[in-house]
Amino acid sequence: DRQTLVAVLQFLRRSNLRESEEILRREARLLGDDLGGNVATVASSSPAVAAVAAVPPGKGGARGGTAGSLPRAAGRHLCRDPRGLGGPCASCSLGGFGGSVVVEDQPDVSAVLSAYNQQGDPTLYEEYYSGLKHFIECSLDCHRAELSQLFYPLFVHMYLELVYNQHESEAKSFFERFHGDQECYYQDDLRVLSSLTKKEHMKGNETMLDFRTSKFVLRISRDSYQLLKRHLQEKQNNQIWNIVQEHLYIDIFDGMPRSKQQIDAMVGSLAGEAKREANKAKVFFGLLKEPEFDVPLDDEDEEGENEEGKPKKKKPKKDSVGSKSKKQDPNAPPQNRIPLPELKDSDKLDKVMNMKEAARRVRLGPECLPSICFYTFLNAYQGLTAVDITDDSSMIVGGFADSTVRVWSVTPKKLRSVKTAADLSLIDKESDDVLERIMDEKTASELKILYGHSGPVYGTSFSPDRNYLLSCSEDGTVRLWSLQTFTCLVGYKGHNYPVWDTQFSPYGYYFVSGGHDRVARLWATDHYQPLRIFAGHLADVTCTRFHPNSNYVATGSADRTIRLWDVLNGNCVRIFTGHKGPIHSLAFSPNGRFLATGATDGRVLLWDIGHGLMVGELKGHTDTVYALRFSRDGEILASGSMDNTVRLWDAVKAFEDLETDDFTTATGHINLPENSQDLLLGTYMTKSTPVVHLHFTRRNLLLAAGAYSSQ
Amino acid sequence: MEPAKMASPKSAPKDAQVMAQILKDMGITEYEPRVINQMLEFAYRYVTTILEDAKIYSSHAKKSSVDADDVRLAIQCRTDQSFTSPPPRDFLLDIARQKNQTPLPLIKPYSGPRLPPDRYCLTAPNYRLKSLQKKVSSSAGRITVPRLSVGAVSSRPSTPTLGTPSAQAVSVSTKVGTPVSLTGQRFTVQIPSSQAAVKSATPTTPTVQNVLINPSLIGPKNILITTNMVSSQNASNESNALKRKHEDDDDYDNL
Repeated sequence: DRQTLVAVLQFLRRSNLRESEEILRREARLLGDDLGGNVATVASSSPAVAAVAAVPPGKGGARGGTAGSLPRAAGRHLCRDPRGLGGPCASCSLGGFGGSVVVEDQPDVSAVLSAYNQQGDPTLYEEYYSGLKHFIECSLDCHRAELSQLFYPLFVHMYLELVYNQHESEAKSFFERFHGDQECYYQDDLRVLSSLTKKEHMKGNETMLDFRTSKFVLRISRDSYQLLKRHLQEKQNNQIWNIVQEHLYIDIFDGMPRSKQQIDAMVGSLAGEAKREANKAKVFFGLLKEPEFDVPLDDEDEEGENEEGKPKKKKPKKDSVGSKSKKQDPNAPPQNRIPLPELKDSDKLDKVMNMKEAARRVRLGPECLPSICFYTFLNAYQGLTAVDITDDSSMIVGGFADSTVRVWSVTPKKLRSVKTAADLSLIDKESDDVLERIMDEKTASELKILYGHSGPVYGTSFSPDRNYLLSCSEDGTVRLWSLQTFTCLVGYKGHNYPVWDTQFSPYGYYFVSGGHDRVARLWATDHYQPLRIFAGHLADVTCTRFHPNSNYVATGSADRTIRLWDVLNGNCVRIFTGHKGPIHSLAFSPNGRFLATGATDGRVLLWDIGHGLMVGELKGHTDTVYALRFSRDGEILASGSMDNTVRLWDAVKAFEDLETDDFTTATGHINLPENSQDLLLGTYMTKSTPVVHLHFTRRNLLLAAGAYSSQ
Repeated sequence: MEPAKMASPKSAPKDAQVMAQILKDMGITEYEPRVINQMLEFAYRYVTTILEDAKIYSSHAKKSSVDADDVRLAIQCRTDQSFTSPPPRDFLLDIARQKNQTPLPLIKPYSGPRLPPDRYCLTAPNYRLKSLQKKVSSSAGRITVPRLSVGAVSSRPSTPTLGTPSAQAVSVSTKVGTPVSLTGQRFTVQIPSSQAAVKSATPTTPTVQNVLINPSLIGPKNILITTNMVSSQNASNESNALKRKHEDDDDYDNL
């Protein structure tokens, strides 16, 4: 009877009897609820109920709440808008982030899984696909590039539909025939796809499930879209039209069709490109104002005293706000937008040191390249998995595959731990060098080893005040270590799966971590549970970085997108697509306006955060880019890669003369100049050491780190 | 029989060749040769487990032979046990929505090292020294050395310092029988009490002189080295025994 219920629902849907369908669905949902949502019924034949049951039991309460909205959303989602997917569907489905996405995802699951039941004749799939292929190849040149974007998502969805409906042989022959036509950068996905030959295989693969339930976004100009729609509707290719409507989101823009080169730059992610409205939210990319403080210290610091204490590092071409101005930068977040820890005396001392060093900083540029000092980890037996260097370049930490965390002192000053409590009570607390006296000389050593993790350590991060160290590991925990006692203080458990990256906020207190469970979490050191959960990626979160103003977090993921999240409310404010492989490095420019990203495809992409556009592409590396860093004033971008090189790029030139007028922001793409060669200032090879970490000292000396690998 | 253990690809057993082919199909080109052995081991173990489970299910269903349904059921049950996958996307979005609705908590100023409550930290000692009860001097004053707790202010009233008895309120307490349940990095040292400043507390009364540790250790440089800010006085001595009951278990030590 469940099957008949579903069949009736589908019939009503096909006949556009929406209201009766809603009523029946509502009652059927109640029935579904009563029958229990246990996961074990996945093997049941009714896909709609299976979808309901596939929701984990923990969601029972939530489901009750959303049951009312489910029929409404389902009805809207499946509306057969004769004008195509342009307007109304865009507004009703999958718009917005954060709050409302859950409701739309639930109908997505059930609707999509049951949509897969509307099968055309499986043997005709190949004909449909080749018919479309023929049409696209015969279309005008200017439209062909855009319409070719359809091939990949259609191919995958048709293949999955065949597999889901258990037409194994047809699926296999469909795959054999057409998988070679796809773009080269999809080959990894296709390989995974080729291993999914049965319906049961699909259930275990979270990434594939996410792919099916999220809509693949395509950006097509209006002319090309009209062409496509006319063809699909007149040829009665209902199957393809169904799939287009169910699984693809076509973001139409008015303007010139894009060229193949432009398209190739932007596509590649698991979910297509980003919708334009995904990148429309206002982002406060300005820097927070440095607080004024009097520095009544030594007499030598008089020059520091007179300034306002604002080491504003701005790019030469930045327009309005000067460093002494008291005007609020319109692009900067309000000071109290998110609570930040107050400045302690030790922090103020640190800032003064920073300013003094900044005064002696070397100004870099194409004529004045930085010197590079490379720290090679010897005898690491390929176990080095993470490196970090403190801001003042005094300590370096390495995370290893044998689950240890090792801290070295880079300066001649050794690492000491604090004295025991017994000895501490003996010292004179009023003396000036009490900070030295609390240190126990007997424990001085250059290396400290921290034991505690039970799996390889994949990410490490020093706190800005150098009191704490974070490390995250494959065992699913993030550990906070004290650098005064060199012991572990807290283990933050939240991810139950490997945590790939973690980083402290530039002001301390907050830190972010991202892992295999496809979310990034924001923590504070004094809360044992995360404060924010950034969910939305389709695959593992491999890289997490804070914006310099600590209000935003950028996450790079194995689904080949970068998302920018707002710390205040957890919303995703930017989605950047264009990489063709998992992202492994992110770097914000010091002025907060730009983001540089590196991935396994060897390209470094530059993004304008305010407008949400890709503004540069730096080609040159031949292997994964694992390290990216802007110089202290943002003039040079350094990138380090698995191909054993460090490359320096001219950031000033890359960001000047950007044509970010209304037209480009409306269409969402920009003409990228092919100027990678002009921007490359130098390539520096190591003998055979992949570069894992880069760091500019306060005086703009570049430090690099990696483990010597003998092959 | 194969005389050579290190089989070259041509003479590798068929299973190993199949495994190598699988690795190649999945795009893995570089791997150590032992990976094939490990993968084969895993495959054998997994298949054996599944088939054994399937046999059990089919015999439970009183079938004469194992059929595909049994195997399917076995796979399903094992998958839930051994191979957990991350939560599905809608679940994550749901909990994210809930979590992100609460506003960010305000930060208390000047509260020292910001760490979670002690029970969520790893700062507690994981050992305890047994008390020496059999000493002749019944006033086995236990002089406890102050704890260096980098953690938050502890809830327990403190143990006193070992300090040169200064004119301030530093005194050695006698603590008999009361377990020194600790939070923070502390350790107790047993020294037969011969300090002059021993109060005349009788050994039977478990009075603890709670001593105020120099709060001036919170230096002007904001390095917070607390040795337990003590707020409570003798009245809380009794609560020493009551608090942290699960750690008050060395009564059996005391015989």
